[in-house]
Amino acid sequence: MLAYLLNLAILLGIAVILAWSLNVLIGFAGIFSVMHAVFYGVGAYVAAQFALHVSSDFVLSTMVAMIVTGALAFLVAVPVLRVREEYFVVAAIGFQMVASTIFITWESATGGMGGLTGIPPAKVFGFELISPAAYLVLTLVCALICVLALLAVVRSPFGRALKALRDDETAAIALGKHPVKLRLIATTIGGAMAAIGGSLYAFYVSFVNPESFTLDYSVLLMAMVIIGGAGSLLGPVLGALFITVFPALLNFLQVPSSVLGPVQQIVYGMMIVLLMLFMPEGLVSAGKLISRRRK
Amino acid sequence: MSLALNELYKSFGGNQVINGVTLQIEDRKVTSLVGPNGAGKTTLFNIVTGFIAVDRGTIHFAGRDLSGLTPQAIKRHGLARTFQNLRLFLDMTVRENVLVALESDMSVNFWSRANLGPVERVLRQVGLWEQREKMAGELSYAERKFLSLARVLATGAPCLLLDEPASGLDGPSLRLFHELIREFKNGGGTVLLIEHNLDIVRDVSDRIVFLDKGRIAAAGTPDEIFSNPVLGELYFGVRVGATGREGPGHAAR
Repeated sequence: MLAYLLNLAILLGIAVILAWSLNVLIGFAGIFSVMHAVFYGVGAYVAAQFALHVSSDFVLSTMVAMIVTGALAFLVAVPVLRVREEYFVVAAIGFQMVASTIFITWESATGGMGGLTGIPPAKVFGFELISPAAYLVLTLVCALICVLALLAVVRSPFGRALKALRDDETAAIALGKHPVKLRLIATTIGGAMAAIGGSLYAFYVSFVNPESFTLDYSVLLMAMVIIGGAGSLLGPVLGALFITVFPALLNFLQVPSSVLGPVQQIVYGMMIVLLMLFMPEGLVSAGKLISRRRK
Repeated sequence: MSLALNELYKSFGGNQVINGVTLQIEDRKVTSLVGPNGAGKTTLFNIVTGFIAVDRGTIHFAGRDLSGLTPQAIKRHGLARTFQNLRLFLDMTVRENVLVALESDMSVNFWSRANLGPVERVLRQVGLWEQREKMAGELSYAERKFLSLARVLATGAPCLLLDEPASGLDGPSLRLFHELIREFKNGGGTVLLIEHNLDIVRDVSDRIVFLDKGRIAAAGTPDEIFSNPVLGELYFGVRVGATGREGPGHAAR
């Protein structure tokens, strides 16, 4: 049971980092990206290759993954950000499909469908992290660094300009802000941060293959941000908690195992629909709703 | 730092909305643009601030040619504007709305601390300092109007283009608006104002330009414009008597 909970906590930590990284785009820059699993995947593959061929030092591998993924996010954003709103969503889906195909077919880099196996355990300051408890601590430290970095970004003039752009692009332009430049930087930050999640994942499961970085997962990440509440730091945590832990809780329902899967899907889907109907601003708005009712 | 518009033309799909406008906006003065709906007032604002490209003509401010520049570059050269529908950042606090206006145009600054001194000054000026931590979306209509003014004042631009900043204001709010415009002008600022409330136009303007169908139909001091019998009939909705001073009130159509 403890092993199960530790596993769940590590995966939750990774999901929170990914949701935060996507929140930079959706919540602060107003970019509805459905290609985030690509950056997660590239981060995982780069960290895995670095660990397999150069060094399994976690900090070094993660930094290399962040640089490569950040650069890729920047290069992708240059053409993709030229289109807006629904056209951007379609372009992002297209990019996700291209990337998914590359993950499968570029066997020398990704191992194809078979993936990359035998990734060594992460080393931090020379110590190998073998136990799940130690890995959970590493995940929590990464999450802490991410949230501190996000706080610094959100409270900076850059963060305010980004939020201004999200709220009203025309007014932001009138005040001298440059939408394309701001969105490019936001996408680069979001991509680099997703690589931290990718690196953590690759070292944790010691195996990466394309099935973890599909369009489905991009949509799931988007759901985490929206269900939790975009534009806040707590929202993606609640969203990741809901998406990751809720299906696990459904495992404890006293239903025959033959129908457990469909029941899980229906309950899960209904919960999402109800949440969006009654809390369109996400789970993070629950506090606001309660205090309004009390008044 | 005067603003000079020279022979501006703009058409949309064959409809000539700005038709040869030539106008000198005097330095340290308040110039009001009046005219019926569809006269081209807001289009002229959009052209001057770079949101709409002009078909023909030039725009100069403080001796610099602004024609063809982006809105960001025009703002950098000292022209800032408000919008008729305010366009506040509703999910940001009052303080953040003003900070965004104050902060570097480059916008890629991660490290500098928020400069709260000027924010406090501007928010106290418009009476919103106590509301600084409220979300802009939670403000009343009049408060939103003043936040929009605070934001444009915070830019430090010497020339402001204000699009219906006083519509919907009354009593003490209108007095505060007058005071803000007077203070800005006395501090060396230039204002180009679109306003339908003709009492305000008369009170704050040094010069009024009457725009009709994209052309300047008349320009002059408030007394000259308000006593013009043709304009009175056309726009102000009053019959001007021998003195030419019958109060038009809020007669904009």
